[in-house]
Amino acid sequence: MAPSLQVLGVGYISPQNQPILIRYFSGKKKDGLKFHYIAHTSLDVFEERKCYLGLLYAMDDFAVYGYITPLRVKIVLTIALTDNLVRDADVTMIFRALHMAYYHALANPFLRLDAPYDAVVDHTALLVQSKTQWKGFRRRVDEVARACGVNVPPDGEET
Amino acid sequence: MASRASFQSPAPFSAQPMASTSSLVTPTLALLADPPVRQVDAAAMDYLLIEMVQTLRESEAVSSERLKKAEDEMIQAGFMPPTVAAREKQRKEKEKREKEKLRESTGSGAGSPAPGGGAGKGSVEEDAAEEGLRTRLEAIGVHVGGNIAERLCRERPRFTDTLDAVKFVCKDIWSICWDKQVDNLRTNHRGVYVLQDNQFKPICRISSYEGQQDAQRRARTYVALPAGIIKGAFARLGFDASITPEIPHLPQCKCQTY
Repeated sequence: MAPSLQVLGVGYISPQNQPILIRYFSGKKKDGLKFHYIAHTSLDVFEERKCYLGLLYAMDDFAVYGYITPLRVKIVLTIALTDNLVRDADVTMIFRALHMAYYHALANPFLRLDAPYDAVVDHTALLVQSKTQWKGFRRRVDEVARACGVNVPPDGEET
Repeated sequence: MASRASFQSPAPFSAQPMASTSSLVTPTLALLADPPVRQVDAAAMDYLLIEMVQTLRESEAVSSERLKKAEDEMIQAGFMPPTVAAREKQRKEKEKREKEKLRESTGSGAGSPAPGGGAGKGSVEEDAAEEGLRTRLEAIGVHVGGNIAERLCRERPRFTDTLDAVKFVCKDIWSICWDKQVDNLRTNHRGVYVLQDNQFKPICRISSYEGQQDAQRRARTYVALPAGIIKGAFARLGFDASITPEIPHLPQCKCQTY
């Protein structure tokens, strides 16, 4: 599968609009803020369009796609704008892979052992934990990115 | 792996009358040919529930004992005002004395000797312990319910509204966990839903040698985990529901959610 898309970054946002994970693959630390900004802007587009998501918007050198899972977790994908035709099916498949990564990470029953007894814990907050914990989720997202042809250095990146 | 599906009755969700083109394909045969995917091991869940209630009951006793000791120490050392605790204690002592007087005047009952004298104080504490146990079970259930909902909702489209989500819980979650669907769903169209199951699986085999009333009382504890599962499922779907299970008579169970 010749990778014609170049994935720049991935963002997960919870149903309560909290960021779960923002991951970018460009290698420069200062881009982190840019991707947070992209995720934020996408939230407005999600609000507008309740149904069809897909290409949300395009900026100067990249395009942003959005996807919302049945349980209202939003996934934002940033792809470099090239002259190649980006097929919808490809993007959908990437989103499904990202959704599976999230689903597998969340299926960990040991995700939060010390939850208070009476609070209904916001489950997505569990994955926002500090960077040293829950590396599994990040690793899965990296795996998806590698399958798309992105050159991700093994476990070196920190968002 | 023992599967506890009953092959005698067809699955409820295929309950439309089959316009049978061929008389050979019965619902039973269809079930055998294409068994539904089992997500939950029913036998393991049963045993787990039994053992869990026992274990957590003891654990809760130890934990609340520890808490009480710490509280007492704080009160002794003067860090905590004894007002609430001491007033409660005084009230309980008075109640106990009154109950004992009543008990003596009506003669010794047929109950076992141990609860005879301490029943006044005992039953209040016992209720608190059961309450603590139920809270723990519900918390575990919330966790489990959320993850089950996550698993089930992977492929399906988004929920249109609250009723859709409630119907999902009634059909899918109930049949995954307890092999059947909810028997009756009522709503007052203002956000209160009553789910009724006439043969609720976790409690349909509960019996107690102290009689039906006692069995019903004990069943309330066992229903805490399923209530938690439903609550967790709703929470994961985005609805902050509070679930009140009621057991009018075994093995019927009604859950009210708002």
